[in-house]
Amino acid sequence: MHKCECEQPLVPVIVEVVDIKDETPDIKSFFVKNPGGQGLPFNVAPGQCAMVSYLPVGESMISCTWQEEQEYLQFAIKRVGLMTDELHQIEVGQKIGLRGPYGNGFPVEACKGKDMLFIAGGIGLAPLRSFIKYCFKHREDYGKIKIIYGSRSYADLCFKEELFELWPQQKNTEVFVTIDSAEEVWKGHVGFVPSYLEELNPSPNGVVAVTCGPPIMIKFVLGSLEKMGYTDEQVITTLEMRMKCGIGKCGRCNIGSEYICLDGPVFYLSQLRDLPQEW
Amino acid sequence: MKDISNKIRDIAVKLFQEKKIDIFIGWEKGALEFQTRPLIARNEADAAKLVFDEYAIHNLATLLLKFRDGGEKIGIVAKGCDSRSMVRLLEDRQFQRERLYIIGVGCPGMKDPLQAMAKHTGLKKINADGNGVAAKCLDCVQPNPVIYDELLGSQQAPQQSGERFARVAALEKMSADERYRFFEETLSKCIRCYACRQVCPACNCRTCIFDEMKPQWVGRENSTTDNMMYHLVKASHMAGRCVECGECERACPVDIPLMLLNQKLIKDVNAFFGPYEAGMSYIEGAKPPLSSYAEKDPDDFI
Amino acid sequence: MKVLSKAKLETALNKLNQGAEVFLPMQKAQESGFYSWKLFQQGQDELMLDALNVYLPPKHVVLPQTERMYSIKLEGQDMKIEQTFEDASPRVIFGARPCDIKAILCMDEVFLTRGYEDSFYKCRREAITIVANACYQPGPACFCNAMEVNPVEPAGADIIIRDAGEAYVWETKTPKGEALTSQIAEFLEEKSLALPVAQPFIQDVKYEGTAEKLKKMFADHIWAKLGEACHNCGICTYVCPSCYCFDIQVKMWGDEGYRFRCWDSCMYEEYSREAGGGNPRGDGIERFRNRFLHKLEFFKERYGTPLCTGCGRCIVACPAGINIVKIIDEIKEAELHA
Repeated sequence: MHKCECEQPLVPVIVEVVDIKDETPDIKSFFVKNPGGQGLPFNVAPGQCAMVSYLPVGESMISCTWQEEQEYLQFAIKRVGLMTDELHQIEVGQKIGLRGPYGNGFPVEACKGKDMLFIAGGIGLAPLRSFIKYCFKHREDYGKIKIIYGSRSYADLCFKEELFELWPQQKNTEVFVTIDSAEEVWKGHVGFVPSYLEELNPSPNGVVAVTCGPPIMIKFVLGSLEKMGYTDEQVITTLEMRMKCGIGKCGRCNIGSEYICLDGPVFYLSQLRDLPQEW
Repeated sequence: MKDISNKIRDIAVKLFQEKKIDIFIGWEKGALEFQTRPLIARNEADAAKLVFDEYAIHNLATLLLKFRDGGEKIGIVAKGCDSRSMVRLLEDRQFQRERLYIIGVGCPGMKDPLQAMAKHTGLKKINADGNGVAAKCLDCVQPNPVIYDELLGSQQAPQQSGERFARVAALEKMSADERYRFFEETLSKCIRCYACRQVCPACNCRTCIFDEMKPQWVGRENSTTDNMMYHLVKASHMAGRCVECGECERACPVDIPLMLLNQKLIKDVNAFFGPYEAGMSYIEGAKPPLSSYAEKDPDDFI
Repeated sequence: MKVLSKAKLETALNKLNQGAEVFLPMQKAQESGFYSWKLFQQGQDELMLDALNVYLPPKHVVLPQTERMYSIKLEGQDMKIEQTFEDASPRVIFGARPCDIKAILCMDEVFLTRGYEDSFYKCRREAITIVANACYQPGPACFCNAMEVNPVEPAGADIIIRDAGEAYVWETKTPKGEALTSQIAEFLEEKSLALPVAQPFIQDVKYEGTAEKLKKMFADHIWAKLGEACHNCGICTYVCPSCYCFDIQVKMWGDEGYRFRCWDSCMYEEYSREAGGGNPRGDGIERFRNRFLHKLEFFKERYGTPLCTGCGRCIVACPAGINIVKIIDEIKEAELHA
């Protein structure tokens, strides 16, 4: 748990959107930095989140998909509700609000020396990407890397350039991509992520599995991993719930006595087993 | 009332034994003497707890909404106002008549457990009227069930305390400014807990306008504007639907005279579209005035 | 001992009122709650210091139902936060009962600990002085003694007053309390009065062990039964002295507006509804369960004390007659299913 760095944790700082990139028909990446282009308002560790706010509409907790040094913070945001709808309308140069960083982030230190298995679905790749890119940046600290990723369709696959070009070129790295149902343009694997995972059947020896995606996918992936012999201490997932404050005060994102915004969003499966089954 | 309690219990037990119902909705005794509370009985053992007494004030029809999507057959006790609410639920097709076995009870006027509790615990000084009969029962026009499969007890005369729309008349007499000030003051007390909506049998929308976020019709702020918006929108949705059970006013923790607004609309609906009283009898296919449309409806106000 | 004669109470309040807004238990028309002494209307309103408690708790003094946070201004692509609205004006809660003060201590835990201090809460809270009114005569719905509250020696008070008939015995507990005491020193007298004798509680509530047992009861069938009559109306959360959940919303007029927070209720479906439409507590029973677990188990696990303070208000206010004492009893009696 981190100490409060700013004196008004509920008041956002203003940042500027310096670039916007279409990732899929309903996901855009927003690149932000301090207004005027110098530096970042704060550092965000892999897996941590921030409250992104289009001030006149609302705030949403979004996991930071990558911090590039002091150059930019990148948020890949899917259009699902009020705030994200508005955000998808903005253009480069727009000022938005940001507060954070929030949450515990991925246990990047504890995973050192391990082989990594990343399993993601849809927009669930966005949080994992911060960990994946961290591994590549500190490549010698981690063993083999396997990435299994799926989406509804080819168009819905996020970060295509990295998936198909950049990541597979990395040392000791394999990327497996699947889509839910067959399409003409798609020559790769077809099927849901959990069944693809079972097909690939990666051995649990010395591996940490990290998964994120729609709740139903996570549920099945956890089942598959268990079947494949992964222990609860080898499995990490991130959870999400509706949030308002982001700092463990407003009450709504609790699972039992834990608050996802503050104590999460990253949990080992062994921790989740201890909580009420509300996730 | 002991006699009626026993009969309700016997009927419920029999209905369970004959497998005619899956659920029976009535009242049970709470922890304190005046804490009679709704009971949803699922078997004979539960049914043994059923009572009917002077604090059986809750409108049980609202609880039917919890089961509207199921297929359960339900036995339920109905006073005059409960039964009118049931008629309204049937008219709105929120429930099917054949799923209900209604035990009608003529209502002598109930005491208010909330007021009794507040008084008993000393949390509030209550200026209760008359013989302890709840405020809402003093405006009753129909204490006897209007729809039932079985009728218990004797027919009752309404506990009308005076002229039916006396409070409305006083409101109408005010100048526009006075009326505005009255509502401004009254509604500023509202803490926006929405209890008036939750206990209302006429509030049966699956998604309430006040829960809509896209667009957000009414702000969440506790301010005169948003409070007024909430109450006026809610009241207009009640037009032609309110059966005067008074549960909203009873539940309100800050004593907003919600029935005053509702009664104004009852009076107006009757004057403009009447004669009409919501839920007074069940005729299959019948619709209240504001739920029907005909081409010849006057529309010069649009 | 120092005492404040009841005959001098109103003059003392007038004096305090010069330096701070003073909130007291009073009955205004049909409502009773903590209202500002400025709003007290002689002849119409009635002070309720000698009554057991009032219907609405002093929660709004520390956490207003609606609280502006900051103003927003838009200019083309530019957005500015013009002003933040931390409010540190001095306030006094006068005559709060120990249950209500315990509730404020619970909120202190939430808003001021675990990594973040909520600046809006902190500013307001630090400027509040609490004068507790010790309880010697529990009411029929009271059970604070079971919820880790000491009714005659309340924690968290800056001053404790004790009703000794003609006067209140005045005990200053903290530096904040000293400051307040010195303001009205002229009205305090040195006198020896007999303290009231604490009367036994009418209800015997055995909360001990409930939190531990509840840990095993999340999936128990008992919730469906306990919560069946609940309308999910939210009154319990609004009259509760310790329910603190809030929402953050915005109000805009064209290019200007402000963000505010307001009380929210875990009883509402919208409370935990996600942007995509999903809701982990979409069912009324799930929300009911979460509320009681929060009160009786989760808060205790996280902060070491229950979030229910035994004031009994929800028991009085629930239109469906749901009674938290009965719920504790039923939980204690329930057989655990493996």
